Amino acid sequence: MVQSKKLEQKPDKLEEMVELSLLYDFYGALLKEQKRSIFEAYILDNYGLSEIAKEKNMSRQAVYEVIRRCRKELREYEQRLQLVHKFHLMKEQVHEIQKRADSIAKEEQDERVSVALKEISSLAYEILEEF
Amino acid sequence: MVKIRLKRMGQKKAPFYRIVVADERSPRDGKCIAEIGTYDPNQEPSAFKIDEEAAKDWLSKGAQPTDVVAKLMKNAGIM
Repeated sequence: MVQSKKLEQKPDKLEEMVELSLLYDFYGALLKEQKRSIFEAYILDNYGLSEIAKEKNMSRQAVYEVIRRCRKELREYEQRLQLVHKFHLMKEQVHEIQKRADSIAKEEQDERVSVALKEISSLAYEILEEF
Repeated sequence: MVKIRLKRMGQKKAPFYRIVVADERSPRDGKCIAEIGTYDPNQEPSAFKIDEEAAKDWLSKGAQPTDVVAKLMKNAGIM
């Protein structure tokens, strides 16, 4: 495996794919089943509009419309609920809690305290997982 | 035709992708022919790893990368 050069300019399409994929994680369950499976093929499996159209027996334009609507719908949910935004903030804070707990635990002589700090660190992580 | 795509893996809320080679007609949840790399946007900056030799080999055999994979490969100097 070759580690490539760091990506200096992330391509827009890629950024959008990741953004929509995150929105999907939070709000995907709210999309109607028919729309959702089209959106999933596009966003999770990187299928092109024509490929989905062929598979679903639809026109390319119709697939495009579904994806456009899903994108709009998901972005509207985020605008109203801000769950992805809050998740990012929380992630930073949880990492900060872990960082501080771990650094104190390293220098702590009392084993009970260092065990407790490790528990704090893993609890913080669980909160993030269950968000 | 054989395609080179990104396939989303990873836990919920932490998108992580594999770069996979798959037959165009294979079903979405079907097996892919090969895995040739990963893309992790959770890292800062995002990390793209690819088996360069395998990628070039597949491209020379006519495998078609999707737009996003083509861009990643171009950024890495493979295409």
